[in-house]
Amino acid sequence: MIEGMLHRLQRGAELIGALLFAAMLAAFLLQIGSRYIFNAPIGWTQEASLLAYLWLVFWSAAFLVRERDHVCFSLLYDALGVGGRRLLALLGTVTTLMVTLIALPATADWVAFMKIDRTWDLRIPFDKVFAVYLLFMLGIAAQAAWRIRSLLRGGWRERV
Amino acid sequence: MSLPLLVLALGFAVMGVIGMPVALAMLNSGVLYLLVSGQDLALAAEQILNGLFNSFVLLAVPLFIFAANVMTAGSISDRLLDFCTALVGRFRGGLAQVDILVSIVFSGMSGSAIADAAGTGKVAIEMMVKRGHYPAGFAAAVIAASATIGPIIPPSIPMVLYALVADTSVGYLFLGGVLPGLVMGGALMAVVAVSARRRGFGKGEAVPLRELPERTVRATPVLVLPVILLGGIYGGIVTPTEAAAVAALYAILLACVWYRSLSFKGLVQTFIDSARASAVVTLVVAGAFVFNYVVATEQVPELLAASLAGVDIPPSVFLLLVTVVFLLLGCFLDTTTLLLVLVPLLLPTLRQLGVDLVHFGVTITVNLMIGLITPPFGVLLFVVNGVTGIPLKSIIQEIWIFIAVLIAALVVMILVPETVLWLPRQFGYAG
Repeated sequence: MIEGMLHRLQRGAELIGALLFAAMLAAFLLQIGSRYIFNAPIGWTQEASLLAYLWLVFWSAAFLVRERDHVCFSLLYDALGVGGRRLLALLGTVTTLMVTLIALPATADWVAFMKIDRTWDLRIPFDKVFAVYLLFMLGIAAQAAWRIRSLLRGGWRERV
Repeated sequence: MSLPLLVLALGFAVMGVIGMPVALAMLNSGVLYLLVSGQDLALAAEQILNGLFNSFVLLAVPLFIFAANVMTAGSISDRLLDFCTALVGRFRGGLAQVDILVSIVFSGMSGSAIADAAGTGKVAIEMMVKRGHYPAGFAAAVIAASATIGPIIPPSIPMVLYALVADTSVGYLFLGGVLPGLVMGGALMAVVAVSARRRGFGKGEAVPLRELPERTVRATPVLVLPVILLGGIYGGIVTPTEAAAVAALYAILLACVWYRSLSFKGLVQTFIDSARASAVVTLVVAGAFVFNYVVATEQVPELLAASLAGVDIPPSVFLLLVTVVFLLLGCFLDTTTLLLVLVPLLLPTLRQLGVDLVHFGVTITVNLMIGLITPPFGVLLFVVNGVTGIPLKSIIQEIWIFIAVLIAALVVMILVPETVLWLPRQFGYAG
């Protein structure tokens, strides 16, 4: 049951990613269209596409991007046996988990502080805009924690 | 070198070597730097978010990725193959020439080498190996080598990234890539012509010339896209970033409406895949924003430039040295990382030497594209291997001659800057 729920959550996250991408493209096309076809440039479209892009990137990085999608130098990793790979994977994920958690409080403070400023056109407070970065940090930390757990449990050989 | 900087460099190197995602290695070592130097840990997020929110030009990257994905999913490159077969298929080694010609045209609408190889790879291999009786390794090598033209002829994703770090004009960079891209295409075609004669490759089907008009008409919707893009940018109608959105819309119309080769479900999946791929690239850009902050705070490029100031070397020698170093690094490291981490370090030195940054941008892109086909870690070799199933070993055996020719073309571009700069100057580039 948990598996099924996770699967549906994953699918939901993917669809949100697709929607954000479509929104970014649509805002952009609206901008070009308004300038040339209707001859009445709209100001907020540029900002809207940037917002969609920012959210798209960190949303996807937190919930869509899988370990194997990332750019890595796998020279050493590939040369090792399963035991060595497990050690490297543990080293890497523990580092990511720790560094992310250390940086989280200060970053959350700064994001909250940014409510004093708003975006130029849509007048959205920046703490709302940048909140997606906190989601990203939590997503990265959760992914790392999950990976550490799977590396320490039985059956880790299939996961390195 | 200060202690915090050492922590950053060592941290990044160690995390990279143990196989962590490069983007995370950059973010982590950036935070460690802030920690050791006693700065606010939120500075990393601040640099990244403000950086991204003020880099409008960067939006071109996800849009070009998406346009290329739609073209691949909608098998638009197949329509090009048909047309190019009629054009050059009749010659000895014709099918290999067809693939190079398709790559040249396709690169006029896509900014990614991987999209080029993945898009044309499968069908082109089938044509060459089954109908043309080419050695499979040679056919695969042609596909990988010709895909390097993708980001040289505009549009180009790496050039957008370069424009971001070097603060140069995307428009002039794009223009600067046109002639070098054609030179690369010509050089590859020459290799194929010579190999075909020497090794006795078959001729392709000779499509009667009277069929050419009809095939041209059928391929026209695809063929006009490069014209729309370049005409739009240089006619001053759209910015390069907006051109990316136009390309994306055009690709959707072509694949979903005109050829009906992409369903709604397929389109949604393309959006998801593009979101994922865009996030991967942008995260490396995000890491680069943190690095650039550190590098600026610690004045690394100035130190580098100052240490080279006493050394009296002509710019062309320096460029050749840089070329050798990047070719070697390109065998092991990824294009985006090299572009976003190492290139910014060189920029002050290049400025000091009076090197034109558009010229450098185009040549370094060509350099990095050659890295994509250099064993042992050429990404394009893996892509072609994945798409066609042809063993890596036989592809690598045949790729060397193409690498040699492309390096020769690169050296010409470096020593004769006019090959790059002539066209931008016709459009008012002052450099």
